[in-house]
Amino acid sequence: MTERPLVRMTGIGKRFGGVQACRDIDLTITAGEVHALLGENGAGKSTLINILSGVITAYDGTIEVDGRPVSFAGPVDAQRAGIATIHQELDLVAGLSIAENMFLGREPRTRLGSVDIRRMRRQAAEHLRTLGADLDPRRLVGSLRVGEQQLVEIGRALSLDARVLIMDEPTAALADAEVERLFETIAGLRRAGVGIVYISHRMAELEVIADRATVLRNGRLAGTVDPKTASRDEIIQLMVGRSVDALFGEGRNEPGEVLLDVRGFAVTPRRPTPGRTEPAGVDLTVRSGEIVGLAGLMGAGRTELLETLFGAGGSGRRTGEVTIDGRPYHPHGPRAALARGVAFVPEDRRGAGLMLEHSVAENVVLSALSSLTTLGVVRRQAVRRTVAEQLTSLAVKAASPAVAAATLSGGNQQKVVFAKQLLTQPRLLLLDEPTRGVDIGAKAEIYRLLHRLADTGMAILLASSELPELRSLCDRVVVLHRGRTVATLPRASATQQAILAAANGDDAKETR
Amino acid sequence: MNPPNPTAVEEAPAETPPPRRPSLRLPRDRHALVDNFFRFQSLFGLVAVFLIAIAVSPVRNGENIFLSSGNLANIVRAVSEIGIIAVGMTFVILIGGIDLSVGAVLGLAAVGSATLMVDSGLGILPTVLIVLLIGTAFGATQGAIVARIGIQSFIVTLAGLQAARGIARMWSGGLGIPIAYGDGPQEAPEAFSLLSGSINGVLPVPAVLFIAIGIGALLLLRTTAFARHVYAIGGNEKAARLSGVPVRRVRIAVFAISGLLAALAGIIHAGQLNQGSPNDGSGYELDAIAAVVIGGTSLAGGSGSMGGTIAGALLLGILNNILALNNIDANVQLVVKGLVIVAAAALQKLRPRIS
Repeated sequence: MTERPLVRMTGIGKRFGGVQACRDIDLTITAGEVHALLGENGAGKSTLINILSGVITAYDGTIEVDGRPVSFAGPVDAQRAGIATIHQELDLVAGLSIAENMFLGREPRTRLGSVDIRRMRRQAAEHLRTLGADLDPRRLVGSLRVGEQQLVEIGRALSLDARVLIMDEPTAALADAEVERLFETIAGLRRAGVGIVYISHRMAELEVIADRATVLRNGRLAGTVDPKTASRDEIIQLMVGRSVDALFGEGRNEPGEVLLDVRGFAVTPRRPTPGRTEPAGVDLTVRSGEIVGLAGLMGAGRTELLETLFGAGGSGRRTGEVTIDGRPYHPHGPRAALARGVAFVPEDRRGAGLMLEHSVAENVVLSALSSLTTLGVVRRQAVRRTVAEQLTSLAVKAASPAVAAATLSGGNQQKVVFAKQLLTQPRLLLLDEPTRGVDIGAKAEIYRLLHRLADTGMAILLASSELPELRSLCDRVVVLHRGRTVATLPRASATQQAILAAANGDDAKETR
Repeated sequence: MNPPNPTAVEEAPAETPPPRRPSLRLPRDRHALVDNFFRFQSLFGLVAVFLIAIAVSPVRNGENIFLSSGNLANIVRAVSEIGIIAVGMTFVILIGGIDLSVGAVLGLAAVGSATLMVDSGLGILPTVLIVLLIGTAFGATQGAIVARIGIQSFIVTLAGLQAARGIARMWSGGLGIPIAYGDGPQEAPEAFSLLSGSINGVLPVPAVLFIAIGIGALLLLRTTAFARHVYAIGGNEKAARLSGVPVRRVRIAVFAISGLLAALAGIIHAGQLNQGSPNDGSGYELDAIAAVVIGGTSLAGGSGSMGGTIAGALLLGILNNILALNNIDANVQLVVKGLVIVAAAALQKLRPRIS
């Protein structure tokens, strides 16, 4: 690939407050290549992408497009330069038609100034045809499946004459058939000379589709490889580095009695919700004092399982057996779950974990208010003491308990969520991506906390997309695939390869 | 009046450990100053309007008419019904809801009071209890529909408004029912007329009720776990639910409180006017919402205070009073009221955001 690159990023770096999100990264994108961008969560992928797509405007280093240095003032600028982004969360308006979405904000006009609907539809239809999509441009986007919506986004990018297309985990929410279709589309775009930046966690996909892979680790360039020749181990090694296992402690207590036992558990919703994978045959056991990991790809149903176990899942018929301490456990709501000693730290701490505009203190005591009141009146002294104790014991860095939760860093926000849940004195702690968006220092603190909690006999079930985290933290890793338990790997055999293989469904021959 | 403080638990305790690391914010003191200005915005507004009213009040025989005790008592009497409704409305708005039915519930309660005493010959206590129960049940039903079915409260209470008006008209036969006092048939007990009277000839009874309820609600909102749950639901409903807050129960309770207070305002209304008419209270819901908004409570829920609402209601009352004292056209009064509401909301927008 000696031709002049479409985009050349040189020495890119970015700090957020005290955190260096990425440093000294070089990336080139040439016409007609699919360039995979790999790395764990927090490795700096999204920062890099946000810089390239004009979302982040202040950074170190230079970007050249067609050999000319550019500096984008915003996403629109980047689009004008031919760089389009397709986010994981699609930016479409469900109530508008395909054509209206494609031309949103730049609708073709008639001479009278009204929207030229016919021209808009015609052009939309052309773009759809280029993509090989047989869709009526008049259809409402809300009625399309996710894969089809993605095509609309790609169509919009084409209508913008995009020459660089950034795709963030485009297959995460797709069914297999749709993935096939997407790959055909990508191949077509590549032939047309579009440069594609492709972000995915799925190794198998990269072997099929990527020409080059750039691996980031802890905000730095770890290496560039050819995914067709490099082994998976080699790539994972690059992603993870060697030192990770050393970072997190070893040595655990003997686990105690079985606390949570799940056998053949499934939820059959009356009406399936698109994008949700309900439990469809889950088997797992967590003993007291044990940390059990929950692995799986995006959409494998980890979050849904945890939510259901906390009484906050989707509605539907429950089959199979769930017991806590050998007694049946089917919580009908979070209150019932908390009453049985089950606590939950959700993945989306800003959306589901915290009241961001309320004070740290209010957030910390919310779940445990009933133990801090007399006849319904909050005992302020007790609240102050409790909050101070919790903040100290979890080493939360906050200017004072009175500041709004939103002012804290991600790691400290997460500790506040932990503090809130731990105040309910749970015996089983359900964690969904507890270290997502948390810097490496706070991460290590959270790991130490989890070890400490397990040592006191708490049972912990932890879902994570970060394989090293699962490997180093968990006594056992349960792998889900499409809502089903496909493997239970004891610590010794829970290698990244084994987890990934199971998560990709390699062991489970699908009959769909 | 107690300063409104929406964040009772937040006050920085003296014995908390010192901050370990300075954070990237405004310096603490200035931040607190700015924050407090906005938190007590309606109180400042109330004082400002009060001073302006003194300044522009007509003076007769050397006496400032606005400041005369009779006039001040009248102001509080005039805002007492709206004020009581606004107290209930504050709870609803704090959870991110709205209650449009309160004016109609007031009318229903006024009709109920008159009918039960005059036509059914019930005593005061049974009448009051039944009417309050009707209001509470009406509110709770709306709350249950919001909480169980998940329809937006705007729609549910809009429907409730129509239904309550309809029930009131059916009950009264579409006409106002006058209340005559005495011991005979078709007459209400004399004691009911106390509602239009004053204590010691100075403090109007409705004003006393309003102040008592306001202070009670203020304490409730500052001290109880229930109040923390109300703020939590308004702040982030999902987080509240996942934290074990009984979201449905609190929702229903909040609408029940709003219905209860609207019914109480209806009883006072009947007592003051000596009649119960099914059309009473039209548009009161909007005045109550205005008082809450001027009080600095966010329509998005999660932040606001009862003190603000009380100040907001009094502010509106003073405004109406001073404009009327100066013989300013009632239609101009409406325009001024509109401007004040927008100004109060605009001030909230200037409030520094944290995220």
